[in-house]
Amino acid sequence: MPLYAIQTPSGEVLEFFVLFAVILLGPIVFNRLGLPGLIGLVLGGFAIGAHGLGLIAAGNHTVPELGHLGLLYLMFVAGLELDLQVLKEYRRAAVAFGLIAFVIPFIGGVTIGFALGWSLPATCLLGALLSSHTLIVYPTIREAGLSGNPAVASAVGATVLTDTIALVILAIVAGTQTGSGSPQVIVAEIAIGLVVLLVVGLLVLPRAVDAALRQWGSDRVARYLVIMVALLLMAMLAQVFGIEGIVGAFFAGLALNRLVPNEGPSMERIEFFGAAVFVPVFLVSIGLLLDPSVMFTGHTLGLAALLVTAALGGKAIACWLAGPLLKFNRLETLAMYVLTIPQAAATLAATLIGFEIGLFGTSVVNAVLVLILVSIIVSALITQRVVVRLLPGHAGSAALGAKVLVVTPSTGPSDAAVRAATLIARPDGGHSNVLITRTASEPRPDPGDVRALEKRIFSHGFDGHVRTEIAVLSDAVRHAMIAGEASLVIVDDPTFDASPGPLPLLVLDGASTDGDARQLIADGDGTEVAAEIERRLARGGKPRRMPALR
Amino acid sequence: MRDARPCPETLRIRSRLSSLTCALFVGATTLALSACSGEESAAGSRFEPVRPGVLTVATAFLPAPGFWEGRTPSAGGFEAGLAGALAKHLGLERVEVVQVPFASLVAGKLGGADLALSQLTPTSEREKSVDFSTPYLTAPPGVLALRNVDARDVHGLQELRWVTSRVSTLTPIVLERIRPHRDPAMVEDRTQALAVLRSGRAQALMLDLPVALALASADTARFHVLGQLDGDEGLAAALPDGSHNREVVDSAIHALTADGTIDGLVERWLGESSDDVPLILTEQLG
Repeated sequence: MPLYAIQTPSGEVLEFFVLFAVILLGPIVFNRLGLPGLIGLVLGGFAIGAHGLGLIAAGNHTVPELGHLGLLYLMFVAGLELDLQVLKEYRRAAVAFGLIAFVIPFIGGVTIGFALGWSLPATCLLGALLSSHTLIVYPTIREAGLSGNPAVASAVGATVLTDTIALVILAIVAGTQTGSGSPQVIVAEIAIGLVVLLVVGLLVLPRAVDAALRQWGSDRVARYLVIMVALLLMAMLAQVFGIEGIVGAFFAGLALNRLVPNEGPSMERIEFFGAAVFVPVFLVSIGLLLDPSVMFTGHTLGLAALLVTAALGGKAIACWLAGPLLKFNRLETLAMYVLTIPQAAATLAATLIGFEIGLFGTSVVNAVLVLILVSIIVSALITQRVVVRLLPGHAGSAALGAKVLVVTPSTGPSDAAVRAATLIARPDGGHSNVLITRTASEPRPDPGDVRALEKRIFSHGFDGHVRTEIAVLSDAVRHAMIAGEASLVIVDDPTFDASPGPLPLLVLDGASTDGDARQLIADGDGTEVAAEIERRLARGGKPRRMPALR
Repeated sequence: MRDARPCPETLRIRSRLSSLTCALFVGATTLALSACSGEESAAGSRFEPVRPGVLTVATAFLPAPGFWEGRTPSAGGFEAGLAGALAKHLGLERVEVVQVPFASLVAGKLGGADLALSQLTPTSEREKSVDFSTPYLTAPPGVLALRNVDARDVHGLQELRWVTSRVSTLTPIVLERIRPHRDPAMVEDRTQALAVLRSGRAQALMLDLPVALALASADTARFHVLGQLDGDEGLAAALPDGSHNREVVDSAIHALTADGTIDGLVERWLGESSDDVPLILTEQLG
């Protein structure tokens, strides 16, 4: 083999290699240093970018375009992950805190903009980007069992409001800067666009996606692609009306919130691709913009200091005002603070769009990057202290439909059982699993039969795992009750009988069309649970009578 | 659980700390504001022209079909229009053009101009002498060929007689990615290369795609664009090394891209869309 065939690596393969090497190693290195992994991605992006080692050239389109898709994905997942049930429960506190948490940093941003003599659109955009926040530390708080704490729930709910207002301001500013019509026409166009997004997001998209998932949902790839198409469709629809795609992506997430349960397999896949590719690429693409020759100047650092003061100070004042108003103690107020100071998704979106439309220069972009790094580090550090001292709160118990388990004999679940599980789980953003029991003497299910079974149950809107277990049905139910991982157990066998246990049990006769063919076994007074089940099942078709209670 | 009531001494210390924090906050804010104030906008420092109210633009080729249709901006052309749009965006009254040899431009000698618009591709070598703006046009390599010449793949391109210029950044692409079977004719610059192509002594010349399209559009009887190679290159404005105007020029180019001004200029002056030009893959040679 001739040696002159050996070449210096170059081209797309090298670029993808360094990109994925940064995605792999950036978080590992920074986590070892005790810092959030996403800082490793941003700084890794800088290292391989045009201002660093130059491995990804300034004119490279692939990484920024993939990064843009990552930004859409990030906003989509933010909408998808929101716990609408918690939001509903604490809506008043969420609205009150959301307004305060938006207005105060916004005033801070506007004051800075005017003090520096910036144009009105740049000033408004600065106010908007400081007012939004990203729930970066929410997974840590949720894992600590604090998602039901009223202060946490209010802060999460407030995010919808702050980010939506910030994105609407972004849409108006971007529209007036890039559109060719008068400001009034553009604002009207954006208003129509928002109404269209709301109508499509609330009415059309959930139905269309539900129908598509019922049709093709048993194929996991098709399921994921249906969701991706829905995301991109909404982003594209937003752009048609001169609204930034991230607004559409966020609306898409809200629209599919009920259809994609947070702990279901579809969400696992969405989070997997988001965590492995899309979101890291977005953060790396941000790092490509880091320019030390711009960042480490008196002007940029001064600007960064102002932005950090306005964002972190503004949120602190908002929490300080809202905490006592909403009757939260100091620790809860601190929890609200750590949830609302991280600036990432909407802030970056607003900044990058401001940059792309020529409103912001590289100084502002670099100052915002400093703000993002500081806000994430501060919030990550305080969160560690909050989670060990904060009490979970009364909303910590699982909702009825959070995790429904359908236990069936070896014949598999009936359509009625799967339908009931879906109808009960969806209002809580929950999901259902199926456990098929069989005796040791019964043969393993044929793969073809399993596929046919999945196709059938996915056509009823099912989004969960199916597993088989060698066990007597009553033992499997007893184990599920003891494990306590489910919020409701549905037994798809009318002959089943048991004493009331720690979890409600719904016994169904899938073969019957009679509304009386089910029975609820619940500890204590199960009337409320029975009524709730009845209300949810009634949404799926003709009203039925309350299940008989034992 | 409630905290125990703090003692008076603790309260005094807290009060002092609060006052100190407030003082530090006010001081830091004042310092930060003073650091950021002055001739700055959100889009960057205010543009400082060499001559007040005038955007002085350097370019090498006058006229350059599609880019500079005449010796003055009013004659039209993509870069002439871009110069006018930049001047308007930067709040300047008019544009003046100075002609500077290409080799001087890439060596950082802009002839006293604020910036150069001359179908320049940023390279790390050139960046040692000049600052480049963000690209205003994507410009992958494009093959300008005589009308009667055809090639559908890289093997076809290898059979052609090529002309290359010493100052072009595209010459290594011809030599390393095309690897013509016959040594290309080597000339000094693009003007000479075009003369060789026109005379028929060469069949193909590698140019930035928008330039190739504009030249083909200006002389359809003689030239056509055979294809394009993949690449991330772009055309950018050159500014004097260390220019304070770079950030605000970048922002202006972003704004003109976002509001459709640049697309409008492309449509008007550069004709055929680069999307319609077939892509010729060269990786198979690697």
